[in-house]
This record gives sequence, C-alpha cells and structure tokens, in this order.
Amino acid sequence: MSYLNYLIGAYAVFAVVMLWDLLAPRLQIRRELRAARLRKGRAAKRAQPVELSR
Amino acid sequence: MNPVLLWFHQLGSPPVFDRFAARWAPWCHGIALAVMAVGLWQAFQVPADYQQGDSFRIFYIHVPSAMLSLSIFAVMAAYSAIALIWRIKLCEILAMACAPIGAAFTVITLVTGSIWGKPMWGTWWDWDPRLTTELILLFLYLGVIGLYNAIDDRRTAARAAGFLAIVGVALLPVIKYSVVWWNSLHQGQTISLFGESKMDASMALPFWLMFVGVQFWFAGSLLVRARADNLRREAGKDWVARLVAQP
Repeated sequence: MSYLNYLIGAYAVFAVVMLWDLLAPRLQIRRELRAARLRKGRAAKRAQPVELSR
Repeated sequence: MNPVLLWFHQLGSPPVFDRFAARWAPWCHGIALAVMAVGLWQAFQVPADYQQGDSFRIFYIHVPSAMLSLSIFAVMAAYSAIALIWRIKLCEILAMACAPIGAAFTVITLVTGSIWGKPMWGTWWDWDPRLTTELILLFLYLGVIGLYNAIDDRRTAARAAGFLAIVGVALLPVIKYSVVWWNSLHQGQTISLFGESKMDASMALPFWLMFVGVQFWFAGSLLVRARADNLRREAGKDWVARLVAQP
C-alpha cells in the first residue's frame, strides 16, 4: 500500500479526536452526578436531628 | 394539543431532556460506529486512485468531517437564533454543545487535510483560501467556546456566544465557494449532495456510509454534551437529587 505512513497518521488523528469526543462529556456527566450525590449526602446529614447530651 | 407538539414542548423540560438524552445518545453512537465501520472497511476495498495512489483514502475521513464542520456551525447558529428570539433554555444548551463537536471535526479536517497535502502538494500547509477560511472557522468555534466559559452567568454567556455564532455564519458560504471564487491549490468540489458527483460510483459508496455515520455521531455527541451542560446548570435542583438517588 502506497503512502501508508500518511494513511496511518490521518486515521490515527481521526480515531483520537473521536475517542476524546466520546469520553470527555461522559466523564463530565460522571463528575456532575458525583457532585450531586455528595450534595445530597451533605443535605441529608444536615437534616438529621442532633441529640444533645451532657 | 397535537401529540408531537406536546412531546416537543415537554422535551424543553430539563428532566425530560435528561432522560431523552441518556436513552438515545448510546443508540446514536452505536449506529454511527456500525455504519462507519462498514464505511471504513469499504474504503479499503476500493481500488487505489490512478494519480494519488492509496493516499486518496484519507478522503473518506477528511471530506465527511469537513462537511460536518460546516453544517454543525449552521446548526449552532440556528439554535442560537431560536434561543435569542424565544428564550428557550434547551436551545442555548444545544447551541453551546455544538461548539466543541464542531471544533473537533474542524481539527480533524485541518490535520487530515494537512497530512494528505504533504504527499500530494509537497507541503503540510499553504495559505490557500479553502485552508485559511477553514482555519478561521476553527478560531470561530474556539471563540464561541471561550466566550461561553468566560462569563459566569450561563444564560448571559450563551446569549453572548450565540451572537458570535450567528455573525460567524457569514463565513460558511465563503468556505464552500472559496474553491470557485479564487484560484486555489485545493481541488474543486468532488461530491455534491444534490447534484452530480465527479467521483466514480464505486468510490462513492464508502463516502456516503461515512457521511451518514458522522451525522449519527454528531447527534449522539450533541445529546451527551447537552446532557452534561444541562446537569451542570441544574445542579442543586430536586430532580437531579432524585436522579442520583435512583439505584
């Protein structure tokens, strides 16, 4: 196959950029959901009645 | 109310959109990967070009990406216009989700074009009208992304970046007709969506498969990115708390 190095280079760029486009927003969603889970945990902790003891 | 119209109105609700995007994005990406896999397999089955040899196979990723880089900008401007006129929040989110995807496909176009140009033209880069205008398109995408992230208030940021997207649409016909209006190193139009293509039919099938594949890819990426931005904007709302509470 002629110009094989150029072909590999071009297709590698295509694959890498597509992979970034696939993964980056999914990681962002995971971060947002994790932050929401932590927020919910903190809110639940605040809502618990604190028993005072001597 | 018409059920389709009702569904469309409901889709504007952040929790409904979140469910919709979470459900359909994997399907879009799955179809895109399947169609592109067949397209790429076909791309390596067709005979080599009599002048360009096997380097012409870069065409199958370069041209669909280039076409998509232009059409994403038009879609982004259309969403921005709708968001500015009717103040629909989901359209702001969708418009801003278009920008990084468009930038990614513009980068693919420029880099694969450069790699193709080296053996064919003897240079990685030339300040040719088509190449230069495509580079300006990348700067416009980066401008939209930068402006959106530079302003704290999401709605104000989307409006400001939306204006830039609408103004930037003027560049699209310049890119498309640059090979017609000026003497260009870049070859003229080979593929036409509505007219006759200059490419042999045996070489055209992989192109159309890749073209369909990248459209599905764009739909999937748009849904995922819009979902991420939607979650970021809606952080702290009850529906997000209920979402994370689900097993």
